Amino acid sequence: MALRNTGLAMAVLIALTACGSNGETASSDTPEPAVIGERQDNFEEIGDAFRVIRGELENDAPDMAVISANAEIINANAMNIEGHFPPGTGMDDGYDSEALATIWERPEEFAAAHERLVSASAAFLETADAGDAAAVAEGVPELGGACKNCHDTFRLDDE
Amino acid sequence: MTSDTVKVWDGWIRLFHWTIVLIIPAMWWTAENGEMTWHMRLGTVLLALLLFRILWGFFGSSTARFGSFVKGPGAVISYLTGNRREGAAGIGHNPAGGWSVLVLLGVMLAQVGLGLFSGDPYDGATGPLNHIVGAMTAGWMTDWHEIGFNVLLSLIALHIAAILYYLLVKHENLVTPMVTGKREGQAETGGIESASLMRAVVCFAVAAAVPIWIWFVAD
Repeated sequence: MALRNTGLAMAVLIALTACGSNGETASSDTPEPAVIGERQDNFEEIGDAFRVIRGELENDAPDMAVISANAEIINANAMNIEGHFPPGTGMDDGYDSEALATIWERPEEFAAAHERLVSASAAFLETADAGDAAAVAEGVPELGGACKNCHDTFRLDDE
Repeated sequence: MTSDTVKVWDGWIRLFHWTIVLIIPAMWWTAENGEMTWHMRLGTVLLALLLFRILWGFFGSSTARFGSFVKGPGAVISYLTGNRREGAAGIGHNPAGGWSVLVLLGVMLAQVGLGLFSGDPYDGATGPLNHIVGAMTAGWMTDWHEIGFNVLLSLIALHIAAILYYLLVKHENLVTPMVTGKREGQAETGGIESASLMRAVVCFAVAAAVPIWIWFVAD
């Protein structure tokens, strides 16, 4: 009987562990501000568009129209970020977010990082519209660096 | 313990099983909390464990071998509709459980395989083989790596539900044998045919060579 009870206790423990791992970590009682979902979708679109561009550049004859259209998305969405980070919407506020408190602790640095993305994406769009695939490819690390710049300092470290 | 207690699971199977129980939640936690360096280290260990389990399915003890527990659909249906004789002579995986093992191994292997290529160099961590595939390929592999975890979670829930069903409804404790390796009331089966320590060492060395190669050479 002792063995059976041990087994039961373990099975319940495992079951509880599995249930716990399925839950969300956010513990806030208030509903999540809509802006969190909006900015996450906005960043997702930037990431997807940048991936499409890099995928296109891997082809022998990249479709410059596709590259331009996606560079346009990146530039437009980069400008959208302004207003996406009102105070009290970070991960420390209990939301399902990776936005670090440094965004609000170092607002000038965050604004500068945002500005770097906006200008890098504008320059990238200009190159894309000019139609030279090789020049666009050369600009990829610069634009990617402007994305990563912010991820390193203001988003939960995921290295 | 009574005199009709026999060994049903070898030590390697049990060590594999409980290491998986620890490593899967740890991999979920590291991924959720941005501990990607540890996520990938654990993934490398998991890959070695899975490859070991596959080799052990050919060279291990009798209840570890795929040949002893992978049955056709007829046997599975027969077992599920109440014919208990379809079990592997009373010990080891039953015909339904055998497929559960294969599916769980397959999904975990797919998860590790996708993870090796996942990520985006400009957006967080990348798997050790991310650079050898195109940006779009890495993109869909990352998406499927995320979907795959939910598939795995569902299968784990089903696995635990089945164990609870056996425990609470059929009054068969399957957890204790997976810990001790032994089960009562199966004397007529004679227990498992063991495999030598040397076999386990060779299987593990072969299994570990693949992730070691990925980590140090292909990366």
